[in-house]
Amino acid sequence: MMTATLADGRRVEILRLGKGEPLLYLHGLADVHSVLPPEEPPAALTLLGATREVVAPAHPGYEGTEDLGPHADPEDYAFHLLDVLDLLGLDAVDVIGASFGGWLAAELALRHPNRVRRLVLVNPLGLQVPGAQPGLFFGAAAPRGIGGFAEVRSMLFADSSSTVATATLPDEMSRERQLRWFGGLAGAARLGWRGPELRNPKLRGRLRRITAPALVLWGERDRISPVAHAREWEKRLPDAELVLVPDAGHSLPLERPDVTTDWIVSYLAHPSRL
Amino acid sequence: MNFFFFHLMPWPNLPPPREFLRQHEAAWVTLPNTLYDPDAGARLYERYLDELVAAEELGFDGVVVNEHHQNAYGLMPSPNLIAAALTQRTERVKICVLGNALPLYNPPTRVAEEFAMLDVLSGGRLISGLVVGGGPEYYSYNVNPTEARGRFREAVDLVLRAWTEPGPFTFEGDYYNLPYVNPWPRPLQQPHPPVWIPGLGSPSTIEYCAERGFGYMGVAYYAPPESFGRQAAHYREAVARARRPYDPEKLGWLTTVYVAETDEEARADAYEPLAYFSGNLAAGFVGAGKVWMPPGYIDAPALVQFLDDLRSQAANTGDRREATFRRNPLVGSVETVRERLLALVEEHRLGTVLALMSFGNLAADKARRSMELYAREVVPWVRHRADAWFEEHFPQHASA
Repeated sequence: MMTATLADGRRVEILRLGKGEPLLYLHGLADVHSVLPPEEPPAALTLLGATREVVAPAHPGYEGTEDLGPHADPEDYAFHLLDVLDLLGLDAVDVIGASFGGWLAAELALRHPNRVRRLVLVNPLGLQVPGAQPGLFFGAAAPRGIGGFAEVRSMLFADSSSTVATATLPDEMSRERQLRWFGGLAGAARLGWRGPELRNPKLRGRLRRITAPALVLWGERDRISPVAHAREWEKRLPDAELVLVPDAGHSLPLERPDVTTDWIVSYLAHPSRL
Repeated sequence: MNFFFFHLMPWPNLPPPREFLRQHEAAWVTLPNTLYDPDAGARLYERYLDELVAAEELGFDGVVVNEHHQNAYGLMPSPNLIAAALTQRTERVKICVLGNALPLYNPPTRVAEEFAMLDVLSGGRLISGLVVGGGPEYYSYNVNPTEARGRFREAVDLVLRAWTEPGPFTFEGDYYNLPYVNPWPRPLQQPHPPVWIPGLGSPSTIEYCAERGFGYMGVAYYAPPESFGRQAAHYREAVARARRPYDPEKLGWLTTVYVAETDEEARADAYEPLAYFSGNLAAGFVGAGKVWMPPGYIDAPALVQFLDDLRSQAANTGDRREATFRRNPLVGSVETVRERLLALVEEHRLGTVLALMSFGNLAADKARRSMELYAREVVPWVRHRADAWFEEHFPQHASA
């Protein structure tokens, strides 16, 4: 982990692991920084770290990264990521964005296409698709007096009682994990609370501006963003390849780390995209 | 001493708590409004308004209404409408709206306008309650809960400036920008009606009230009985730190009250309505079911503490009856309630008691009888002694 100060004076926390060419990883709603501590990153990140240096900043409001203040909108988050890239001296970088991080990756890539070399989106949020109503995440994430976190697990995972789901969001959560989880939800709510929840209605019409080749990986049983969203990303991005992964949900990198990293590594290694 | 009659206007026709929680996750936000019956609702509003009017006839100093949305707990999404009706049906009592949830109004000068109207219509009887709004309201109104505190504090400043600063003026804040602030009418009470803020014990709210000279009204019935003592002590210390004289009437206690002929009768009558109140109606922000506490509404350490407290209360397998009466000590005979109330007033230097008397699914006749006993037998007895006690300890602020 590194703690650094951005050009605007805000503090940012960044997890760096592995060796090789840097790869920016933008985390999701149930991921490193949002529920998993940086010293226990998801297996997918460790696997990616075998060939690349994974650089995973905590988003504003998450972990120790300072938030962007009142009225922060997608543009502020894009500028924030630009500051992160500048801080790290990364000019044009491969970006993986999962879930909430996928939304942010798209907001960055459409405004600053020269800074994103290739894009991998894993069950990204952010898109509003007429007729494809997303699941209401913040309502499902409201805690219970007794009974744990089954409701939000069923939003985030294909199987809410699977080992990975119950290990990530156990009904009996340690105080430390609860602090990270509830703090992270507040980080997501800062940007994503305003209706439509966790979506930017203007994003759909702007995806044509993304020049980077994009791999769209989708856990088919996503209950937050239905598969109709995956098809919309594929249709709207100028150069996109869609891969649907059965038996996985919104938290695909946690549920299927092997499949996720295999697709990412082979996509990024393909000669036509080098 | 101030003795106020507080109403939530609860929906009394839900199934019993156990059955209810098997069918529904909470009484807030998503409880289907098909459970609201229009005819029963119309009769209920009539009953509840009559109870508020009766409070004046019985000699209460004031009546209190408040704002909640999309729930069975309180049928006053607009307490200002009920307050407006009360301005025309009462002549003497203070009318306290406790309060309007400022972040739900955009612009919040709407509250400055409506409260000024209520003050005018009531002949200067309004007490203006300003509140952040409960967690569930942020789901129901889709206001960003991470902005709740920031919006609230800024809106309080805006409302007070709108009442006191000659208009028009320009307001520029983090959340609200108004080129022309110039509300008509202005309040009848000058410089502005008193400001009260209710709270569940958050230290920052208590300190804010003390620093600004606002009344702090502690909500007692969800917390263990010793909690209010801590809040009261904190408020007095914060007032002293702010170098303000201590005014007991600015410290209020919001509590259930039920009086009957004997302690046994009172407990027998009150238990089920109290259980309905905490088990059914409050399900949604306390209890074992869903807690509509949105992210960022309170910071993560406070939320984790809140949930820990809930879980230890819910896991408490002790005598539920006894626990209920510990949280609601003013249930008993005239003698019992007299003595307990006076002791609490003296212990906490408490100058305002907001009595919730038509709570849960308590039947109308029982509520009315309890109001009569409290108003005629308890209040004068306590008032006489408390005023003398305050005269001795806080001479500059004792009631006439």
